[in-house]
Amino acid sequence: MSDHDSSHDHDHDHDHDHPHAPITADEKPGYYDVMETAVRELLVERKLFGPDEIRRQIEVLDSRTPALGAKVVARAWTDPDFKSRLLANGRSGCEEMGITFYDDTQLIVLENTPDVHNLIVCTLCSCYPRPVLGLPPDWYKLKPYRARAVYEPRAVLEEFGTHIPDDVEIRVSDSTAVIRYLVLPMRPEGTEALSEQQLADLVTRDAMIGVIPVSYLKEAA
Amino acid sequence: MGSEALVRKLPNDIGGDAAGKIERVEHELLPWEKRCHALADVLDFHKIINTEEKRRGVESLGSEMIGKLSYYERWIVAFANILFQKGILTPGELAVKMQEVEARYTTPETSHHG
Repeated sequence: MSDHDSSHDHDHDHDHDHPHAPITADEKPGYYDVMETAVRELLVERKLFGPDEIRRQIEVLDSRTPALGAKVVARAWTDPDFKSRLLANGRSGCEEMGITFYDDTQLIVLENTPDVHNLIVCTLCSCYPRPVLGLPPDWYKLKPYRARAVYEPRAVLEEFGTHIPDDVEIRVSDSTAVIRYLVLPMRPEGTEALSEQQLADLVTRDAMIGVIPVSYLKEAA
Repeated sequence: MGSEALVRKLPNDIGGDAAGKIERVEHELLPWEKRCHALADVLDFHKIINTEEKRRGVESLGSEMIGKLSYYERWIVAFANILFQKGILTPGELAVKMQEVEARYTTPETSHHG
């Protein structure tokens, strides 16, 4: 049985409109693709883990999207007690909402306010709150963002179209293997009448990384 | 200055370096990349290779490989090296298994060489 279809045998609602090369059974895999298969099969042969564990973990990875983080943010905006618990312990706050942490990481939720804007980065590699946001975008893992976010965050934010006034403090949090961060963005004005689900729909991945604010454009404006 | 900078900062330690404009690139993972990511998680769950060991494994590839290999290419090579260091696999075993895997795709029927 091929593992090639294993990322497609799930029924999650999934954004799949990217063009990618058709996967055919006889297409010769690349060197690193072969290496991955070889390492995995050798470890399974040695009974270090079971053959189904990779497939199950792919399903877990596919089930993690920024929609989970967005639900957490919307709940924090609408339930002050939940927000306090979330800010006190990000991981247990998320777990309260049924989001399991499959890795051994702690989560610190950083609240944006009119005085403080938070930005998250991993300067050493690509640490990211995967259980609540899924996998990070490539730009988060590449040198320009990792190198510059810590010393010129205002310039970095401008490249994302985000202007932070000089009187607002910017705090950059550098993630580690065991401590991950999630930004709790400010709730946009004019959203008082929205339901929790409608609020969650406004919250984007990039807003929870801290590179853009959450915006709400009224239809009638 | 010269070589001092190499001693002070390992290849991964780029926070604060000068760097270019942020290109907002993204891609959907290839099937093998996703398997590689899942493999990393499973290796961590079983305490075979944890996240910090993985990061150090990538770092010890050296700046040339870090520069030339893609993200998940660095991961799988780092995993192989760490497994060799831990005595879980040998380079010979991996080479034999890679040949075996490759042979599955090189049967005459699927050859496109004319």
